[in-house]
Amino acid sequence: MMGEVTPAVTVDGVDMVFNAGSENEVVALREIDVTVQRGEFVSLIGPSGCGKSTMLRVIGDLLQPTAGSVEVFGQAASSARQNRSYGMAFQSAGLFDWRKVAANIELPLEIGGWSKPDREARSREMLKLVRLEDFADHYPWQLSGGMQQRVAIARALSFQPDLLLMDEPFGALDEMTREYMQSELLRIYSELGTTVIFVTHSIPEAVYLSNRVVVLSPRPGRIHAVVDIDLGPPVESTDSAKADEIRERESFFEMTTQVRAALRSVEAGTPGRAGSPGVADG
Amino acid sequence: MRRALSVLGGIGTLIVLWEGYKAVGGLTGDQWPATPWGLPVPTDDLTMPHVIDIMRTLGRPVQRGRDEILAVFLFKAALSTFWKAALGFALGTVIGWSLAVLMLRSRLVERGLLPWINISQTVPLIALAPIVVTWGRTTFLSDSLSVALIATYLTFFPVAVNALRGLQSPRPADLELLRSYAATEREILMKLRLPASRPYLFPALKLAATLSVVGAIVGEISAGVRGGLGRAILEFASRYSTAPARLYAGVVGAALLGLAVFGLVSLVERSAGRGAGRSLAGEGT
Repeated sequence: MMGEVTPAVTVDGVDMVFNAGSENEVVALREIDVTVQRGEFVSLIGPSGCGKSTMLRVIGDLLQPTAGSVEVFGQAASSARQNRSYGMAFQSAGLFDWRKVAANIELPLEIGGWSKPDREARSREMLKLVRLEDFADHYPWQLSGGMQQRVAIARALSFQPDLLLMDEPFGALDEMTREYMQSELLRIYSELGTTVIFVTHSIPEAVYLSNRVVVLSPRPGRIHAVVDIDLGPPVESTDSAKADEIRERESFFEMTTQVRAALRSVEAGTPGRAGSPGVADG
Repeated sequence: MRRALSVLGGIGTLIVLWEGYKAVGGLTGDQWPATPWGLPVPTDDLTMPHVIDIMRTLGRPVQRGRDEILAVFLFKAALSTFWKAALGFALGTVIGWSLAVLMLRSRLVERGLLPWINISQTVPLIALAPIVVTWGRTTFLSDSLSVALIATYLTFFPVAVNALRGLQSPRPADLELLRSYAATEREILMKLRLPASRPYLFPALKLAATLSVVGAIVGEISAGVRGGLGRAILEFASRYSTAPARLYAGVVGAALLGLAVFGLVSLVERSAGRGAGRSLAGEGT
């Protein structure tokens, strides 16, 4: 049944080579095939320098692959970007200092040509979604790191992009804030039903958030293993504290062990777990 | 308020140093106290008039038989110079900005243009000014406009260099963010590069403002334009041996004009930066 629907993302035979032909040639990605279904949450994990950020940028059409193709909702990545299908969030929140919080959220809407009342209505809605209603008129530097990152997420989602690309968005946060932000992200994700591709190097983060974890090997970046995550029945609560119960489940530990084993075997250079790269479970 | 006090304090210190130096020289016969070495500058009233004499000169008529006192004369001269400097500053800012945006557009243009912009500032203004005035007279330019152009020549440089640095200051991630929204180059310029360049721009504008005054005065001297501070300083210098305090009064007038334009730009900065807070107050270097 899933097969009938166009997948959210199809990465087909992508190679990415920097400085091709010169002495400092770097093969960042080699023969990457991935399919992400609509509504799926997929994490890319791997040792640093394995090309996971590069892969995210290729999917987002910020880098053109040397070979292969990327399709997003049936379109070439470049048309998807022109049609504003992407919301992006990076490790540094990247808010503009000279804009208040609400104006930061409205930035992509301004570029998308929304009218002022529509923009204001949407930024209010988004601030509510990330629970920062009282901070619309603050400047970014008046907010804590976690709050800034929530604004960045609100900005990324403000124009309701089909696909959310996140590059270690919680990497600079302390552990407590990080877990809270993960629960918040899951809550927002389940409210909106967006498709998410998430780059991280934290195993628990990948396991907690994802439907699938794609493990990459370094230089050249290849898909080493794909781990399907099943943590049992979801917690039916919008309360972040209750959602944290998942982190204590037996299945959570099993899954982190599996991902960790896959990462270990990357480092040891042995073939990964016989996953089926690119095939989503229905 | 505190700033005004510190400016007054600075002026007071200068006066005390000036008069103190004079007093020491007068006591020792222009020698360092308790040494056989002479002071670098003799302290007689011709070389270093008393501050009070400089101030008194300001209250006296400019010429025998004229009502106008020197202070009023200098104020009018400063005003005349100010307009030329202001025009030069405005032109220089526009040209500097345009060059920066042009260089931003392509690396090739930047590589081709930037060395010439640097070289332009090694040509001595004294040599250039008469050329500009002569050319101006062969075309439609009045001498005052030529003077403004000379001020422009000094002004555009710091603006161009700093504007380029500011426009190039956004981080790669910020640029990627706007590209991911399919923003046009123009939108990237207006919504990211321009606001990000503000902390770089205002220090450059302050420098450019004071340079425009220097350019205008040098231009007036080279062009022999009447009515401005340049001409006044030239005349006072030629009569230095009979009325030294006047030249000092002219110098003080020029310094005050420089301070005034600096203050004007600072005022604009403060009103433009209201709310932009940290990016201006904290990171501007």
